Amino acid sequence: MSSGMWAEKYRPKILDEMWNQTEIVSRLKSFVKDRNLPHLLFVGPAGTGKTTGILALARDLYGPAYQNYILELNASDERGINVIREKVKNFARTAAITSEVPFKILIMDEADSLTSAAQHALRRTMEIYTRTCRFVLIGNYSENIIEPIQSRCSVFRFSPLGEADAKGWISHIAECEELNLLPEGLDAIYEASVGDLRKATNLLQAAAATQGGQIDDVTIYSVLGRVSPGKVRELINLGLKGEFMEAREVLRGLLIDEGLAADDIIRLIYSEVLRLNIPERYKVRLSDTIGEIDYRLTQGARAEIQLSTFVAKLAIVGEEING
Amino acid sequence: MTAEDQPWTHRFRPSCQAEVVGNERALSQLVTWIRSWEKGIPKVRAVFLHGPPGVGKTSCVVAIANDLDMDLLEVNASDFRTKKRLEELVGRASLQTVTITGKRRMILFDELEGVSGQQDRGGIASIRDIIKETMIPIVLIATSPGEQWEDKFRPLVDISILIEFSPIPFGAMVRRLKECARELGINVDEEVLEHLADRSQGDLRSTLNDLEAVSRGRERVTLQDVEGLGRRDRNDYTPDALNKMFAAKSLMEARGVISSAHINYDTLFDWIYENLPVVLDNPRDLARGMDALSRADIHQTRAQKTQAYRLLKYMFNDMTGGVALSNLYSTGAGLLSQVREKTAALGFPPGALTVTESRGGIEVRPVRYLGGDWRRVNDGLREVGAQWVRGGNAWLIPYFRPPQLVWRYRRTFHSRRRRNEVAAKLAERCHISSREAVADVIPLVKVMVDGDASMAEEITGWLDLDEKQSKWLKG
Repeated sequence: MSSGMWAEKYRPKILDEMWNQTEIVSRLKSFVKDRNLPHLLFVGPAGTGKTTGILALARDLYGPAYQNYILELNASDERGINVIREKVKNFARTAAITSEVPFKILIMDEADSLTSAAQHALRRTMEIYTRTCRFVLIGNYSENIIEPIQSRCSVFRFSPLGEADAKGWISHIAECEELNLLPEGLDAIYEASVGDLRKATNLLQAAAATQGGQIDDVTIYSVLGRVSPGKVRELINLGLKGEFMEAREVLRGLLIDEGLAADDIIRLIYSEVLRLNIPERYKVRLSDTIGEIDYRLTQGARAEIQLSTFVAKLAIVGEEING
Repeated sequence: MTAEDQPWTHRFRPSCQAEVVGNERALSQLVTWIRSWEKGIPKVRAVFLHGPPGVGKTSCVVAIANDLDMDLLEVNASDFRTKKRLEELVGRASLQTVTITGKRRMILFDELEGVSGQQDRGGIASIRDIIKETMIPIVLIATSPGEQWEDKFRPLVDISILIEFSPIPFGAMVRRLKECARELGINVDEEVLEHLADRSQGDLRSTLNDLEAVSRGRERVTLQDVEGLGRRDRNDYTPDALNKMFAAKSLMEARGVISSAHINYDTLFDWIYENLPVVLDNPRDLARGMDALSRADIHQTRAQKTQAYRLLKYMFNDMTGGVALSNLYSTGAGLLSQVREKTAALGFPPGALTVTESRGGIEVRPVRYLGGDWRRVNDGLREVGAQWVRGGNAWLIPYFRPPQLVWRYRRTFHSRRRRNEVAAKLAERCHISSREAVADVIPLVKVMVDGDASMAEEITGWLDLDEKQSKWLKG
């Protein structure tokens, strides 16, 4: 069998294989031992083991046929709460048969992206099907989850991986894949992914594909230059130089050809701006402009127009910096 | 006339509500209101349907009348001219709830947008009077509100329920076209239907016309056959209007473009956005101009969200006057110098190519026969939007180019589709959302697939991608 993405190949399959978030894992293990669990809310940054944790729990609980007892939904991919409700209903109204566990598990990823009205509807649904179904909600921020839902769930906070843990994991994969990963390469991967293991693993795999021999920091930077953050940096630099037309082409490439959501571009622009080598006070000014655009987008403004406006304003900053 | 002879737009016009495509909400709102007349005269005696052309506004009314077995009295713009004519037509009818044969009746005022300004003002007032007195339902229809929407239709808007119709969604349109093709027994490639649906911007009527134009007399229709089909040109000559706008010295002068451009204001907005960096070649002017345009965008969002169309005037002011009056330091030579740089970079001795300004744009004319160099020059100039004018023996770079956004969407239609399919598969296999797949994972997977052939095979196999999808990922 081909192994595809390393992020999946090396994803821990059972709770015993999870080597971080030790406290959380031991609690999850006790649920398995009890053959029962409450509704759960997993919050924390990307790539810290939230999905892995619940999938491993399900496998421990139901055995190899665990797929029959879980339903994975991603709130950001579903069209509206009504579709979600319909799917939940169909899944939850039948009891889990042939298992000694009397309930099924519904996993709702990116639950924090649901509007609060949709969350209230979801809460109702949770109540109706509690007897036959446990809900596991996953999100980045608990602030975006309404209180009535929080109060019905056991909340688990996944913390970002520390540097040693993250690097240990990356080195482990490099070893298994027999790669020659130099320490500078490892540093560069960690710097680009911080505590996000999925991102780190994907980055390592991409680097390994481009480079047969040693993987060092140059390899990693050249990979990064070819993906979105690199293009966003190019966009910003063109903007600062006043090359509006060229910058706009890059922006259109990101929005249309690559299909990035406006939010994601804003997020990347923001983090690149903070890393720019410009006087600090200009960072504050640009951050303010980005904040305004970010708000406008939440109000339904058109992404390309608003982001182009930011690019046009970059030229002014560029001019002032260069005197 | 047999069914075969009818234009397809007639042949496939829905005869009952079940056949109506799209706009389900508007349809149910409309039918609820019409049925409410069965229990006596409701508080509001007219509905106002508005929306883009070809999305089924009239068809809905006709279908409902059929379903409820009502007599429909249709009145068109040409009938509004005089009060006398109008009253002859509908004045009496509106006071009689049933026809001689006992059918309930309803009046439809179609194509209200054809009512123009002053001379027809009397017509609008008469319609209002008729609505106030009417004993039967009155339906008003106009295509999308334009600049004078508020002022022109104010008297009618105030006393009716507004129902908005939207463009027909792409998928629904393709499904409907498939049904039509099946019923006609013609063999049309799916790609053709998608292409037609894609270019129509949600206008089902024009799509049916196009389908008819390419299919009549053919047994099988392929994408090649569609290439010959002319683009439906909704624009009169926009560049002239833009020229005036960008040169305007007052707000009112600039705003004139809204009515003189003869295109929908949001298309006009795209034209202005596309061409503003060429005209405003000074960075401060450009930043101010873009700022105005982004404010216009916000006013439009608010107008749509609140249905308070009076807010549109702030959009119009920002997108025309706001942009034009941002011009303080620009020389307007942006395009000219761009072309000069380009021709200089082509490496000919001075004078071999002359660059001159003409009415429609900038002309580049070869002084001598270019021979084998022609292609190289052509490729270079194409990058700045040049086109070779055969009879004129020169390249022309128009001052204003049409919005590229739409083209880009059309050009990338198939690749975006592949991308979404691949994203969906990645999302499932990697337990992430499609959005994350698109933003964070696909770019890295592309690097993997590009760098290592055996890894590429592994990944495409693992994701179970078909040939088209793998080709997209590798491309």
